[in-house]
Amino acid sequence: MVPLSWFLILGAALFAVGLFGVLARRNAIAILMGIELMLNAVNLNLLAFWRYLWSDSLTGVVFVIVVLAVAAAEVAVGLALIISIYRRRSTIVAEEINLLKW
Amino acid sequence: MIEDYLLTLILFTPLLAGLIVLLIPKDRLSLIRWFALLASLVPLVLSIYMWRAYDPGQPGFQFQVQVDWYPAIGSNFHLGVDGISVVLVLLATLLTPVSILISWNIKDRVRTYMALFLMLETGMLGVFLSLDLVLFFLFWELGLVPMYFLINQWGSEKGTRTVAGREISARNYASFKFMILTMAGSLGLLLAISLIGVVGDTFDIVEITRKWSVLDQPLTLLGLPISVPIGVVKSVAFWAFVVAFAVKVPIWPFHTWLPDAHTEAPTAGSMILAGVLLKLGAYGFLRLVLPLYPAQAKDFAWVLALLATISIVLGAFAAWGQKDFKRLVAYSSVNHMGFVVLGIAAAFYAAGTLSADDAVFAANGAVLQMFNHGLSAAGMFMLVGVIYDRTHTRDLASYGGLFPLAPIFGGILIFTSMASLGLPGLNGFVSEFLVVRGAWPIYTFFTALSMLGLLVTGIYILKGIRGALHGPLNEKYADTPMEITRREVIAIVPLMALMLLIGVWPSWIVEVFNETVMRLVGA
Amino acid sequence: MIETISWLIPLPPLLAFGLIVLFAYRSNRVSHTLGIGAMLITWALAMSVFLFAVSGGELPVSAEVEWLPTGDSSFNIGIWIDSLTAVTLFFVAWTMLAIFVYSVGYHNYGKARDPKDRPGLPPHAGGIDPMYARFFAFISLFAFGMLALVVTDNLLVLFVGWEIMGMCSYMLIGFWYGKDSAKAAMVKAFMTTRVGDVFMLLGLAYLYWLTGTLTYSEILFNPETLERLATTPSVLGPGTSAAALIALLFFIGTVGKSAQWPLHTWLPDAMEGPTPVSAMIHAATMVSAGIYLILRIFPLISAGWQPGEPLPDIMVIIAFIGAFTALFASTLAIGQNDIKRVLAYSTISQLGYMVAAVGIGAFVAAAFHLVVHAFFKGLLFLGSGSVIHGVEHGAHETGDHIDPNDMTHMGGLWKKMPLTFWTFLIGGLTLAGFPIVTAGFWSKDEILAEAFGTGHIAVFIVLALAAFITAFYIMRQITMTFLGKPRSEAAKHAHESTWTMTVPLVVLAIFSVTIGWAGIPRGFPVLSSLVPNWVQEFVDATLLEPAEALEFNSIPLLVSVSVALGGLLIGYLMYRRLEAGAPDPLARLGRVYVWIQDKFYFDELYDFLFVRPAYWFAETFVYRGIDRRVIDGFLHWVAGLAGRLGGFLRNKIDLPIINGTADLVGEGVKTASHEGRVIQTGRIQTYLVVGIIFTGALLSYIFFLL
Repeated sequence: MVPLSWFLILGAALFAVGLFGVLARRNAIAILMGIELMLNAVNLNLLAFWRYLWSDSLTGVVFVIVVLAVAAAEVAVGLALIISIYRRRSTIVAEEINLLKW
Repeated sequence: MIEDYLLTLILFTPLLAGLIVLLIPKDRLSLIRWFALLASLVPLVLSIYMWRAYDPGQPGFQFQVQVDWYPAIGSNFHLGVDGISVVLVLLATLLTPVSILISWNIKDRVRTYMALFLMLETGMLGVFLSLDLVLFFLFWELGLVPMYFLINQWGSEKGTRTVAGREISARNYASFKFMILTMAGSLGLLLAISLIGVVGDTFDIVEITRKWSVLDQPLTLLGLPISVPIGVVKSVAFWAFVVAFAVKVPIWPFHTWLPDAHTEAPTAGSMILAGVLLKLGAYGFLRLVLPLYPAQAKDFAWVLALLATISIVLGAFAAWGQKDFKRLVAYSSVNHMGFVVLGIAAAFYAAGTLSADDAVFAANGAVLQMFNHGLSAAGMFMLVGVIYDRTHTRDLASYGGLFPLAPIFGGILIFTSMASLGLPGLNGFVSEFLVVRGAWPIYTFFTALSMLGLLVTGIYILKGIRGALHGPLNEKYADTPMEITRREVIAIVPLMALMLLIGVWPSWIVEVFNETVMRLVGA
Repeated sequence: MIETISWLIPLPPLLAFGLIVLFAYRSNRVSHTLGIGAMLITWALAMSVFLFAVSGGELPVSAEVEWLPTGDSSFNIGIWIDSLTAVTLFFVAWTMLAIFVYSVGYHNYGKARDPKDRPGLPPHAGGIDPMYARFFAFISLFAFGMLALVVTDNLLVLFVGWEIMGMCSYMLIGFWYGKDSAKAAMVKAFMTTRVGDVFMLLGLAYLYWLTGTLTYSEILFNPETLERLATTPSVLGPGTSAAALIALLFFIGTVGKSAQWPLHTWLPDAMEGPTPVSAMIHAATMVSAGIYLILRIFPLISAGWQPGEPLPDIMVIIAFIGAFTALFASTLAIGQNDIKRVLAYSTISQLGYMVAAVGIGAFVAAAFHLVVHAFFKGLLFLGSGSVIHGVEHGAHETGDHIDPNDMTHMGGLWKKMPLTFWTFLIGGLTLAGFPIVTAGFWSKDEILAEAFGTGHIAVFIVLALAAFITAFYIMRQITMTFLGKPRSEAAKHAHESTWTMTVPLVVLAIFSVTIGWAGIPRGFPVLSSLVPNWVQEFVDATLLEPAEALEFNSIPLLVSVSVALGGLLIGYLMYRRLEAGAPDPLARLGRVYVWIQDKFYFDELYDFLFVRPAYWFAETFVYRGIDRRVIDGFLHWVAGLAGRLGGFLRNKIDLPIINGTADLVGEGVKTASHEGRVIQTGRIQTYLVVGIIFTGALLSYIFFLL
């Protein structure tokens, strides 16, 4: 059986990739994808801990399902917003969306 | 039955009517006017009924109403009349419809004007009817506000005054001066009323009179560890009252608001101002000062007599010195009210002493003079208003020989002027004679000196008649319709009838207050 | 019955006044019918009272009703008819009736109204006066005032009538108010008499206080009251008695009303009124009322004095004023060319006689002269009005523009206006005291005899001198007006007035002669045995202690005859040949004549001494000085002070300290946030980086340092 730490390393790597995407990309869709990656890295961690340490209770699985639902909703709203912004301003570069700034 | 509600009805009908007037659409001018006139006749009818039903022989106040009103401070809604207030209520309710009738020529914001006027009537009546100090003060101040607006909004549009280098409109100046001086005067009144209320534990005038005037313990005020001799407290409170009333009367040297306010006010405003508002002060002297401070009144009566004499003499001279007809009439009020105060001063001095008989004469004269001055001053202001309406000037020198153009007006003007001058056979003489008779033994020198004022009264009255009516016809007005209109005649006829009636047969009105006055001065 | 009649006497004219003013003023005919009708009724009532009195009816008649309650008591008014009232009523009713009838003609009733005439100006060319109805209204009120004054039983109503007359005289002197001169004269008349009136009012107050009443019967005819008043020291100090001070105050009223020096200046100016008004003022009402007053209060004036004793101060003052006025005014009369002004000064002078008579205690003589004077002065005034009327007509016919009052334009009128001339002559001779036939002789003689007989020689000499001047000026007037040749076209074409004007003249002329026979002194040669001295007995009965009539003495008689005749003769001789345009023969007196013509500059003196300073005091001192500058100045100063205090509080405390602090806080926050907003980049990445760094730092802290 694969040891727990492998899963944790994979999760941490995925999280780091997602974090990088969020911090470094200017495209709003890319940022959104980065956030999805980070959420799934967390899901991976949750499932790994559940399977190795508390497999007799359902808490970890339920948590993952909730996170997936939230992520789906988030993507739906986020993409809708981005499309709306794109229609109005013809751009989805994050720095240029500055109407509320100052 | 109706007696129980009589005073309340008299007091609040005008206020109610004033509120109803505000509900009438503002372009229904004649409805507004007629409604205001008819509404103001209601208190008149009621007060005539009250005058008939009043029993002079019965001591104390009649038609009393007493309802809890502000129990926290021990103040009640307490109304009642004695002989003096009956007469003055009658005067106020008579002059209000007359003034409203004469206000037909007001074209601007009629609705507000009439509402204010009716409110003013409630304010005046309240002072005459209240038997509670807080209530008294409330109505005292209530009368000021409508008057302020009447002068400020409907006063004469022309004229400016320069004060401290700045030019302001005369009516603004006059209304402001009127308001501020009267308020300044009543400041002390409010404090003194509070003092009395705290010490006496009630604001009821009847009870206070009984308690306060015999109070002789030193007072500890405001919980401070100092006690003040009662004499000092009473003297201070006495002067607070006196100054408040003196401003209102007005007594020299507090009088300078009067010529300005009278001159700038609209005709009806001047009529009410001279006819009724000035009497509030004199009424205060008789209703409050004499019963509450008999000792101080006696001690300081000479000051009042001195100031009254100065008012009479200098008021007359100042009237003579005018070129403006309305201001001349305004100053005549200072002169005439001086006689009221002289009578009151004599009554102050002699009340309760051996010469109380003289005090009865003096006080009777003072009360009658209040009523008479109400009639003649209102009449004079009305006539000045009529002539101003036609010529748009108040400058005596610019009229000239209007008699042939307006014979009826001229006759009425001469009649009213003669009443104001104190021609025997008309009302002014009776009261002036009573005052002189009462004051002569008490203040011989002052009375003799006031005769100088009486002489100059003749001069300024004739100056007015002469400037307006006599002399070669002023061709400028040859084609102007000058004659007095029927509506104006209807307004002044009741006043003239009363002037003649009182002059020829004064007993019907003197009977009303004679016994009250006797009880008041302890004869 | 007689009480009712007495009550009614003053009322018809009052009623007429009211009716004319309210209803009848549109119709001249109805108005004068009302006026004269009322006067006729009054005349009949007065005559019946008079006849009742002289036929031995019981006097006094009195009745009263309550008028004004004062304290426990009340003031009553009523009527009081004694002999003095009766004789006063007699002459008042007659002269008034004559004047009323005369006014109809004088104001050209029956002529058409001239469309050029304006109310307030005399008719231009003999048309009816535009204010004809109004004239009758006022003159009726005037009559009411006098009648009320006469029949009343107390001093207060007397004062009421007194003042009503003052007002009516004001209105009537200024009847032609469109003239500036009339406008000035009316005010002058009213104000000058009012000077006296205010003193009188004081006297009333004083008397009322001391006695508690103003009724004649309780003061004047009550010896105890008089005694008490005479012994009470007055408010001025123990030197004068209360009675004397009150009498003096009343007397000042008389000085004003009867135009005695020094308050005489209004009467000549009062000639601005229509002539019937002048007659009314001079004969029937005003000035007679002044004398009536001092006769009425004679018991008060003479309280504590017995005939034969030296005069008390108050009587000396009265005698002095009267005698001085008599002489002074008569000298002024000789310098006047206005026919009515001569008569005006004559009135002042004659009233001086009466006042002097009262001053020396000659009650009856004064009353007698009052009656006689009313008749002949009424006659003279109405006569002069007739003359003016005639000359005015002449002037209209010839187009001659002259002053119709100016005697220098007259002359020779006796042929044109015979009835006027003869009656005027009778009046003039009565005034001069032409011996035996005229009433003036008997009444004036009685005053002179009293002055002489009671030992007041100074008064006697002054009055005798005045009598001489009187005879001179009246003869001057008669000569200039009626005798000689006409000195103008207008005078040539003058003609006699209508019957409504001449009949009153005749009636008054008859009385001017016959009245005297009622008062022929006892002991006068021949005549006294024919006619008893009725006046003495009847009028004296007014007083509680009637004085004894004096023994007859021929010295004053001779003096009075010689001054009268001498004056008349000199007057005739000097003026009979006066030519048109020639200077007055008196101009030879030089500067004195100028002074006389200018009335000794009393008008100018009063103007300088009283009127101007008083107006300056009123306008400049009291109004602009005290009220506007001092009092208003103070108020403005206080207002300014309040304004400055407010300004200080706002500008020095509120704005910098309180607002400043609050503003500092607000501004500080604002500045800080403004400066600090740069960290709000709005980029989520930045925030995340910061968040990670902080989280990292926090974790590091927890791991490595704890």
